[in-house]
Amino acid sequence: MKLVSFAVGRSTCVQQRSRTMEGETVKLISAEGFEFVIDKKAAMVSQTIRNMLTSPGGFAESQLGQVTFPEISTPILEKICQYFYWSLDYASGKETEFHIEPEITLELMMAANYLHT
Amino acid sequence: MSAQKKRTFKIEAFKHRVELDPKYAEKTWKVLEHAIHEIYNHNASGLSFEELYRNAYNMVLHKYGEKLYSGLVTTLTWHLTEIAKSIEDAKGGLFLEELNRKWGDHNKSLQMIRDILMYMDRTFVPSSRKTPVHELGLNLWRDIIIHSNKIQTRLLDTLLDLIHRERIGEVINRGLMRNVTKMLMDLGSFVYEEDFEKPFLEVSASFYSGESQQLIECCDCGEYLRKAERRLSEEMERVSHYLDASSEVKITNVVEGEMISNHMQRLVHMENSGVVNMLVEDKYEDLSRMYNLFRRVPDGLSTIRDVMTSHLRDTGKQLVSDPERLKDPVDFVQHLLDEKDKYDKIISKAFNNDKTFQNALNSSFEYFINLNNRSPEFISLYVDDKLRKGLKGVSEEDVEVILDKVMMLFRYLQEKDVFEKYYKQHLAKRLLSGKTVSDDAERSMIVKLKTECGYQFTSKLEGMFTDMKTSIDTMQGFYASPYCEIGDGPTLAVQVLTTGSWPTQPSAPCNLPAEILGICERFRTYYLGTHTGRRLTWQTNMGTADIRAIFGNGQKHELNVSTYQMCILMLFNSADRLTYKEIEQATEIPAPDLKRCLQSLACVKGKNVLRKDPMSKDIAEDDAFHFNDKFMSKFIKVKIGTVAAQKESEPEKQETRQRVEEDRKPQIEAAIVRIMKSRKVLDHNTIVTEVTSQLQSRFLPNPVVIKKRIESLIEREFLERDKTDRKLYRYLA
Repeated sequence: MKLVSFAVGRSTCVQQRSRTMEGETVKLISAEGFEFVIDKKAAMVSQTIRNMLTSPGGFAESQLGQVTFPEISTPILEKICQYFYWSLDYASGKETEFHIEPEITLELMMAANYLHT
Repeated sequence: MSAQKKRTFKIEAFKHRVELDPKYAEKTWKVLEHAIHEIYNHNASGLSFEELYRNAYNMVLHKYGEKLYSGLVTTLTWHLTEIAKSIEDAKGGLFLEELNRKWGDHNKSLQMIRDILMYMDRTFVPSSRKTPVHELGLNLWRDIIIHSNKIQTRLLDTLLDLIHRERIGEVINRGLMRNVTKMLMDLGSFVYEEDFEKPFLEVSASFYSGESQQLIECCDCGEYLRKAERRLSEEMERVSHYLDASSEVKITNVVEGEMISNHMQRLVHMENSGVVNMLVEDKYEDLSRMYNLFRRVPDGLSTIRDVMTSHLRDTGKQLVSDPERLKDPVDFVQHLLDEKDKYDKIISKAFNNDKTFQNALNSSFEYFINLNNRSPEFISLYVDDKLRKGLKGVSEEDVEVILDKVMMLFRYLQEKDVFEKYYKQHLAKRLLSGKTVSDDAERSMIVKLKTECGYQFTSKLEGMFTDMKTSIDTMQGFYASPYCEIGDGPTLAVQVLTTGSWPTQPSAPCNLPAEILGICERFRTYYLGTHTGRRLTWQTNMGTADIRAIFGNGQKHELNVSTYQMCILMLFNSADRLTYKEIEQATEIPAPDLKRCLQSLACVKGKNVLRKDPMSKDIAEDDAFHFNDKFMSKFIKVKIGTVAAQKESEPEKQETRQRVEEDRKPQIEAAIVRIMKSRKVLDHNTIVTEVTSQLQSRFLPNPVVIKKRIESLIEREFLERDKTDRKLYRYLA
């Protein structure tokens, strides 16, 4: 199964942003195979992803510009992408709430620990 | 994000699942181990970072952190042992390059490994107090590679050999050196210090010790310093290119110690090229170099300073005690000023205007100027000479400069009152003979003296100026009054001087010619008529006269002479030949003055209005004088000088000295009374110190004299001795 992120209705905001912002993009792939194309800058909010993309020696991720997360499900990865953009805005002074639905909290926490976010 | 507890809960759930596969840890580690091998073999491109990270992450989460960590240590150790072998095998010059290349590889691999094991670094390492991955890698590199038997000494020898080769002029690969020393620094500054810096400094010390020995034997001082300076800058350059910045101080210390400190004394005292030679020949560049180099080492500057001071003192002593120089006071002072200028220039050009050097210069001058007790007189004579004629056609600023320089010498004088005495005499002569060139310059000198020594010092000098002004008014009054009968008789210009302000010498008045006496008497009547209660005494030794003379072939000349000379010449109106004795009897001029006058009238070529028998340079008591009929001169006006700017003869000097001593007495007494008045009770030694410090600006009082003054004050009941302690004095109000 291969779907491009903007085909998923809920993630349009992500796609819109990536269109407006200049620069490189990376592809994050969920356990189910959903692909999220987001700005590299946003992805680098995660320390783990930053290492994956910048570590010397040419790992597969930095060569292809895509990272697969076999242990993160699509909704969680989507939420994470939203968080990346929210975090960038927050860092640049736009103080809004980031809403987290209670039922995904636990899984999100696990992913955050993994991604060192 | 919060929810710490929930996360812990979740991890336990994971643990359950893992137990299903007991070989999980082993399998995962195999994956990671393989990856590390691949990384070291430059084969990482096929690996998935995410997968490796996830594996490491899970191992730590599932409590296999310890296994992961020890596995890492073993794998790294194995790889480094391999690397050590390949470095050991590198041949000759390739050794450093191989080491450097492997170090680069290791660093890169280490970073990759650290990245994939980041989760372990973040959680497991701090909690179990292990060394972080990167540091672990460096430590292992240090222990396995750098400290391996075969590599450690070889590395050091190679580095030192390269540096030595560069020192003797070869070109080496500085980039490689830079990388290797940086590697040592990265391994920890103590590795750099122990494994490289310490032996490096030792080798450098012995190198420079040898080189300096060799250089000092064959080079002169300037040459040696040039080489030392170059070595020093070479070492600094070396540090900036490929050593750690912290080494700069250490290596320059070594060079300074070996090349400068150890040879300092020999360098400054080097014959024909040491400090003395540089000073004499104004070698600013060499001196400046020496200053900058010696400044770096302890006692360096004081060594130069000592040599300069002793040289200054020696030459100064020679200068002030050289009888040849003492013959011409103006030249003597000029020489002092030139010497001072020379050293001022050296200090400003070569010694960075160092205060301590300036002080040394000042103290040396003070020392030797006061060695000669005629210095005050000579300095005053110098000013006299400048103000009489030397300043003609010189701009005002230049006058100021010259006067300032004189003031600087004046400051060195300990016996400022002696200077005052002479200055007064010379000023009086200048004013009375109307020979001062510039009134402004005179006044500016007075102002300078005033700022230096206070009002008291110059009040009498200023009084002299006032007298000159009032005299002009008086003369105008005299000529307007009926007392003066205008006729063919001589014209008289009188300067009325206040006793006390002027340095009058009590000289027996000479016999004035009758022509003059008349008008003098008339002036006396006029003056005493307007100012009652005053007394006029004629100071014939200080006046001047213009007389008209007709010589043999009808030539007319106007002669400008002193009063004494006028008296002598007038005698020849009634006689053609007079003996010395006859002149002396007729004029009653004191013998030394008479001789001087006759000498200037008869013995100066071109101005010899008298002829002397026998012809000789000096005047003897049995000489005879003729009116010189054949006197010729291109000028109508002939000025016959008394030998001007005379330094004092020996008896005069003694006299002045005595008068100075007399003048000091009341000053010392005044100082004692001032001190005692405020302190009431004081012991002898303290009084002496206090008096000395109070009077220092004017002269250095002799303790014996002070003691005498105290005794005199006790006699006059200003003070008394304490009844119980005889050393104490009490002030009696």
